[in-house]
Amino acid sequence: MKVLNISRKQESISNLRTTLLLALKIVFTNHLYICIAAAVFATFWIVFNVFDQLLYFSPVVTFYLPGDAVGEFILANITSALMGILVAMNVYVIRSSRLKVDKSLFSGSALGIATSICAGCSSIGFLAISTFGSFGIVAIDFLTNYQAPLRIISICILLWALYSVQNKVTKPCILNTNNNRDQKRIGIG
Amino acid sequence: MKSTGRLFTFGLRVTAISSLAVLAFFFFTLLLSFHPYSEPLRAFAQTQEIAPLSLTSLIEKGAAYQGSTSAPVTLIDFSDLQCHLCNRFVKATEPQINSTYVQPGKVVFVFLHLPNRGSDSFPAALAAQCANDQGKFWQYHNLLYENQGPIDSGWASRDNLKKFASQISGLDMQKFNSCFDSQKYNTLVDNDVALAHSLGFTQTPSFIIVKNDGSNPQKIEGPQPYPEFRFFIDKELGGV
Repeated sequence: MKVLNISRKQESISNLRTTLLLALKIVFTNHLYICIAAAVFATFWIVFNVFDQLLYFSPVVTFYLPGDAVGEFILANITSALMGILVAMNVYVIRSSRLKVDKSLFSGSALGIATSICAGCSSIGFLAISTFGSFGIVAIDFLTNYQAPLRIISICILLWALYSVQNKVTKPCILNTNNNRDQKRIGIG
Repeated sequence: MKSTGRLFTFGLRVTAISSLAVLAFFFFTLLLSFHPYSEPLRAFAQTQEIAPLSLTSLIEKGAAYQGSTSAPVTLIDFSDLQCHLCNRFVKATEPQINSTYVQPGKVVFVFLHLPNRGSDSFPAALAAQCANDQGKFWQYHNLLYENQGPIDSGWASRDNLKKFASQISGLDMQKFNSCFDSQKYNTLVDNDVALAHSLGFTQTPSFIIVKNDGSNPQKIEGPQPYPEFRFFIDKELGGV
């Protein structure tokens, strides 16, 4: 029984890898989506690194990576990259009008994007203190202490959203049996 | 199908609006954070109240400092001993400033307290000043930053602050405990906070680079990398 379960898990992981690669291939063969992904990645990379106090534009443009910020930087890069991929794939799904549009698309991917933007909240601490004074400090202590877990949670949400949207990209030909039946009944099909 | 389509459209709109609102909030915060500091600093400079920032005045008040008192430029650091970004500055940027400007006698580095990160920050500032009483401020300062933990997690409790002090060789613990328990430097730390607020600083670390007499203040906020400091210090040195 255990052996069967393990082989099923391996099979589903292998299937997921295949469909994910296929979805990426389908979307990113078009240069438009590569550009969208790159633009979104660059935007979020800048936002995260400015808020993390790693990137400065004035008076001298400087990026530096002190030892204590390596973890944050890696998580910020993963989040930005996932955001880029996800936004590009969502645009592809929305533009492909023949694809079935339902609430799972909303809950799976669009919500994922909205939630993941809050990954930036975890690094907004320094600026929020300056803007909101002592009120900001109370909220920011929490965000400062739990910055890494918040980032990891947002990455998990993005991965879930990616799983959801890759299904939409690779399985566009699922027949809606109820519709087919209705069409046949009224003599269209 | 129609209703799910409508739900999707509605959901997409809500998501798009909320995402834009969050992004707008980010940029609004960013813009605001750049704005409020320039005004108080300009006002401060215009009123010619430069005496509080002169090196003589800062040393008289009991501020800890490193470097030559005849250095033409003073770098004033407003920090919190519980603040992790201050720790970043101490580890990543301060050593370069020290070797390039402080050791050769070009800049004197002054530490002022802005304990705003948590309830253990103020006692930590008091303890550091008590160590300064015995000429051990920088050892104590470095020891706290080396052992820094999450804000208000207990690493800087009153007992732990005393334990850290006991690890510094040559520090008279009886004097330290007496100073710390009597809150001898309450007023000094309060004055540092008041000075920081008068300059428009509420965040840590924040810095002001001034000429020795306290004139021509230049503001730096955050644990900025060495090139940013070099720019301002060289500018200040160039005008000497």
